[in-house]
Amino acid sequence: MTNQVSPVEEQEKLLEEALNIVKVQAFQMKRCLDKSKLMDALKHASTMLGELRTSLLSPKSYYELYMAITDELRHLELYLLEEFQKGRKVADLYELVQYAGNIVPRLYLLITVGLVYIKTNTNLRRDLLKDLVEMCRGVQHPLRGLFLRNYLLQCTRNVLPDTHEAPNENEGTVRDAVDFVLMNFAEMNKLWVRMQHQGHSRDKERRERERSELRILVGTNLVRLSQLESVTVEDYRRMVLPGILEQVVSCRDAIAQEYLMECIIQVFPDEFHLANLQPFLKSCAELQPGVNIKNIIIALIERLASYSQRNEGNMNLSVVLEDGQEQEVQLFEVFSDQVAAITQSRVDMPQEDMLSLQLALLKLAQRCHPDKLNYVDRVLAHTDKICTDIHQSSGQSTLEHHTPVFKELMKIIKLPCDHYKNILVLIKLSNYAPLIRHLSYQGRVMIAVHLINDVLETNTAISTPQDVEAVLGLLDVLVKDQPDQPPSESDVEDFVEEQGLLARLIHHFKSDSADQQYLITSTARKILQGGGARRIQHTFPPLVFHAYRLAFVYKDLKDQDEMWEKKCQKIFQFCHQTITMLVKAELAELPLRLYLQGALAISEIGFANHETIAYEFLSQAFSLYEDEISDSKAQLAAITLIIATFEQINCFGAENAEPMRTQCALAASKLLKKPDQSRAVALCSHLFWKGTRDGRPVWALNDASRALDCLKKAARVAQQCMDGGVQAQLLAELLGRYALLRERGNQSLTPSLIDAIIQKIREELANLDQSEEVEQITKHFHNTLQHLKNRIESPDPESLGYEGLTLS
Amino acid sequence: MSFFGFGQTADIEIVFDDADKRKVAEVKTDDGKKEKLLLYYDGETVSGKVNVTLRKPGSKLEHQGIKVELIGQIELFYDRGNHHEFISLVKELARPGDLLQHTSYPFEFANVEKPYEVYTGSNVRLRYFLRATIVRRLTDITKEVDIAVHTLCSYPDVLNSIKMEVGIEDCLHIEFEYNKSKYHLKDVIVGKIYFLLVRIKIKHMEISIIKRETTGSGPNTFTENETVAKYEIMDGAPVRGESIPIRVFLAGYDLTPTMRDINNKFSVRYYLNLVLMDTEDRRYFKQQEVILWRKSDKSRLPLHPHHPQTVSYQGHQSLRKQSVSSDDNSARATPSNPDPENVMQRSVSPSMPEKQNGPLQMEREKPEAFIDKLAGAHINENDTNDTSDEIEEPKPVEKLPVVDKPLIAEKPQIAEKPTLNRPEPAGSPNQ
Repeated sequence: MTNQVSPVEEQEKLLEEALNIVKVQAFQMKRCLDKSKLMDALKHASTMLGELRTSLLSPKSYYELYMAITDELRHLELYLLEEFQKGRKVADLYELVQYAGNIVPRLYLLITVGLVYIKTNTNLRRDLLKDLVEMCRGVQHPLRGLFLRNYLLQCTRNVLPDTHEAPNENEGTVRDAVDFVLMNFAEMNKLWVRMQHQGHSRDKERRERERSELRILVGTNLVRLSQLESVTVEDYRRMVLPGILEQVVSCRDAIAQEYLMECIIQVFPDEFHLANLQPFLKSCAELQPGVNIKNIIIALIERLASYSQRNEGNMNLSVVLEDGQEQEVQLFEVFSDQVAAITQSRVDMPQEDMLSLQLALLKLAQRCHPDKLNYVDRVLAHTDKICTDIHQSSGQSTLEHHTPVFKELMKIIKLPCDHYKNILVLIKLSNYAPLIRHLSYQGRVMIAVHLINDVLETNTAISTPQDVEAVLGLLDVLVKDQPDQPPSESDVEDFVEEQGLLARLIHHFKSDSADQQYLITSTARKILQGGGARRIQHTFPPLVFHAYRLAFVYKDLKDQDEMWEKKCQKIFQFCHQTITMLVKAELAELPLRLYLQGALAISEIGFANHETIAYEFLSQAFSLYEDEISDSKAQLAAITLIIATFEQINCFGAENAEPMRTQCALAASKLLKKPDQSRAVALCSHLFWKGTRDGRPVWALNDASRALDCLKKAARVAQQCMDGGVQAQLLAELLGRYALLRERGNQSLTPSLIDAIIQKIREELANLDQSEEVEQITKHFHNTLQHLKNRIESPDPESLGYEGLTLS
Repeated sequence: MSFFGFGQTADIEIVFDDADKRKVAEVKTDDGKKEKLLLYYDGETVSGKVNVTLRKPGSKLEHQGIKVELIGQIELFYDRGNHHEFISLVKELARPGDLLQHTSYPFEFANVEKPYEVYTGSNVRLRYFLRATIVRRLTDITKEVDIAVHTLCSYPDVLNSIKMEVGIEDCLHIEFEYNKSKYHLKDVIVGKIYFLLVRIKIKHMEISIIKRETTGSGPNTFTENETVAKYEIMDGAPVRGESIPIRVFLAGYDLTPTMRDINNKFSVRYYLNLVLMDTEDRRYFKQQEVILWRKSDKSRLPLHPHHPQTVSYQGHQSLRKQSVSSDDNSARATPSNPDPENVMQRSVSPSMPEKQNGPLQMEREKPEAFIDKLAGAHINENDTNDTSDEIEEPKPVEKLPVVDKPLIAEKPQIAEKPTLNRPEPAGSPNQ
């Protein structure tokens, strides 16, 4: 068992033995050459070449052996070349080497000598090339034949005729070179394909691996053809391409076909491909079923597309036709037709491959014909059809997540998005939205998120109602409930995030024209209101804010637009409706805030009848507070907001203000927790006293004593708190408010009152144990005191000072 | 007048005219060595001088006459004693008398017909020599000098090629073509092998040149086969539709012209043997006689390169049609009788079952032992070629070339065509 040699070791041993013989024979050969004993040298060369007759080596080892031997053959070649150039020709050498009994060494020698003949006498070139490539037919063993012909190709690489007009007929023209390489190519390909069918079927995998190791040998022929500089587009069409394609198609071997087609694409220039799309693509349709045609076509498309991009769209697509006329290649048309033909003829083609092809077409359309949106749309329409077929065969109405078709479709949908970076272009594609509908729910969400992010990134404005409608159509999955939506509220966070994005998108629904903006907003609401409570709470606020902003715009436009007041009324009516919908959706805090915001806007704009409307908004907010908000914290926050809003609004007369501030004070005093009560009541003082800051006139409804009452009540409530710390905190806050209101000109808050509070706080603080909280309160208190001290030392002439207050 | 009968003696020397200008040829001698001899052609005059040198100048040499002979003879090695002289020409140089001094006798055999080429084989030798004799009472003084003779031929440049489809039913069908049926000794065999059907795994293919020397006649016939050259022409296994080029340079091999029934004593024939070897070392082969001839050196073509002589197929269909040939050329090559009649007999019943008997046991060194042969393609009934095509068949029957020797009995050496089943056409006139 232990003696058994692994195949790898065995190969190494065989190779080493062969290489040793090569070394010895090469040494002898060179020695004979040094002594000018050509015949003996040839004999050694022949023995050395005999090693290449082996059948035991793997392609890899054989390659190494081949390299070693051809390296040594170069010495012989150089020697002969030197001798020939000196004029010392060896008569009949070409014949002499043909006496070698074994064909493999004989042909290697024949090629070597033939090359020397060609190099020293170009008159022989054409005939010798023809002869060499013909004689190589004698080696039918795939591996040995491939390497022999590779040697032929290597040797002749610099001597192939590459002109159209030869000075002498016998030197040959590029035509002969093409024939030569094509013949060699055909033979090599046959040998290569034959490997597939020799040997046991259980070795299939190994054989295919070996074949792929050898494919470069076959491909080199194509490289050589592409290196012939005098081959014109015309020559390529008439001689080169048909020859290659015929061989490729007729070999009926999937591995070869796939590799060679890609080779063709890679090695020949773009211009050649452009001029010969039809024949190439037609051949694609004739390839074996096992060939991954998709890759081939995609490679070609990518190549041409990037060619077009390199030339920044200035691609010369015109080609001279056979009749001498120039014609522009309809790149897309050609591909589109051929791809359709291929998909039709290959019934067994995987569906995802069909989609991949469409994807490639799409790229082509976008990159080569940037001006023709209808091409893109055509591809999308075709894709749509394919998807419909897929549904029919699978019986499902959408593509499942993470299936290959799904991924391909995803790419197709994302491509135009990423390419145009403009959702306004996408909505012009009539087949884009239907395509999205083929995706599963998750897929649609992903696309929607992708689209929105794109808009946000590029800061695109969507400025007509039609566009808004179309855009929201694309985002249908986010706008309303879907039949295939997962039943459970699977992931609330994700949902909120998506809706948040949608809300951000809504901010981009904007137009420079105010009337237009109104239409946009109302269109958007019409669509969005179908989204249900879960969605509108995210999507309506931006709409409402749009509307408020619009009202301000009208205010600015009031000199130009006589109707501005009407329009503002309409806008606020719209807002009212919108907010009411939110209320109906059993939301409270959000509409409350929106109402308040609205009230603020109204009071600021001050159009006709604005007081009533503002009152309506504010009262709506208040009734929401009363009816819907039960959580104490929320209550405090809400009442604070209401009070603050009222404080900001200056449009109310006594008739409207009185009930409002009374209600607020009442509500404040009814809060459940004492600290909340205290704070809210303290805030109420602002309802009765507004300062004159920012150039506001003195408020007619100021009532100094009621303000003082509020503060007093707040202090009283504060003192009812059990916790000394809380008491101190509340009082400290209260002190600030006293100071504030006094500075705003309320004279009923006398320094002595302030002093009393200060003393009270000092008392409380003294009773408290040290803690972090207490420290904060103390700090707060001291900051306030510091403020007072500053004011005493340098009084603000425009506000009341603190005469008589002494701070110890 | 001498009292001592053997007192005087002499040396004879034969000096040829133009000896310095005349070409020489290498000829194998009895013992296998090679020797350079002056070269003469048929019809050429052989002339020169016989110089007699006396050993003892001054005394006279008495003789009964001096003569010089030109002899062409065939020696069969198993019959050493009997030499068959096909030429014996005598020139009297001197009448009986006395020789007193060195004497030189010019001689001339004018326009001598030399019908055969010198040859040294394994069982037979054909030589020409000059013998000068001083006839004396007791012992003659003689001197023999060999000369070389080459027979030249010329054939029209356009010669029939050999084309044939052969095979083993359902196993291997090939079609081969040699560009000529007659090659001169410095010629190049150019040809092609086209594979019509390959169901065996072929390892390689070679062409060998076999020399068959036949001596004697009747029960005393000896045949000696010698493989003069072995030449691999294909490596690996071809598939259907493949065509393999053949190009064999003959100049490098030790060959003689084909000789047929030389003076009814011997023949030397050459065969091209196409051998295919499969991966299990079974050999499949087809022998094909070719005529070798010697071409006059003067018109030798400049040599390199030789390739233009490629055989061109006009299209395979035409070829396939014409070769309805079939015969199981399983000539067991009995030493005495490679009888064409036999072969033809077999071709009447094409699918002989015995064609498959084991090629394994054959030894390559002894071709005559081959039993299984590459059988000729069979006439398959399903292979219904319209018989009209037969008209196009190149007649394999050898036409007598213009300059060929009338003595050589021509047999139709390519006897494969089924059409030959008819009574022998006029192709073999001088049996």
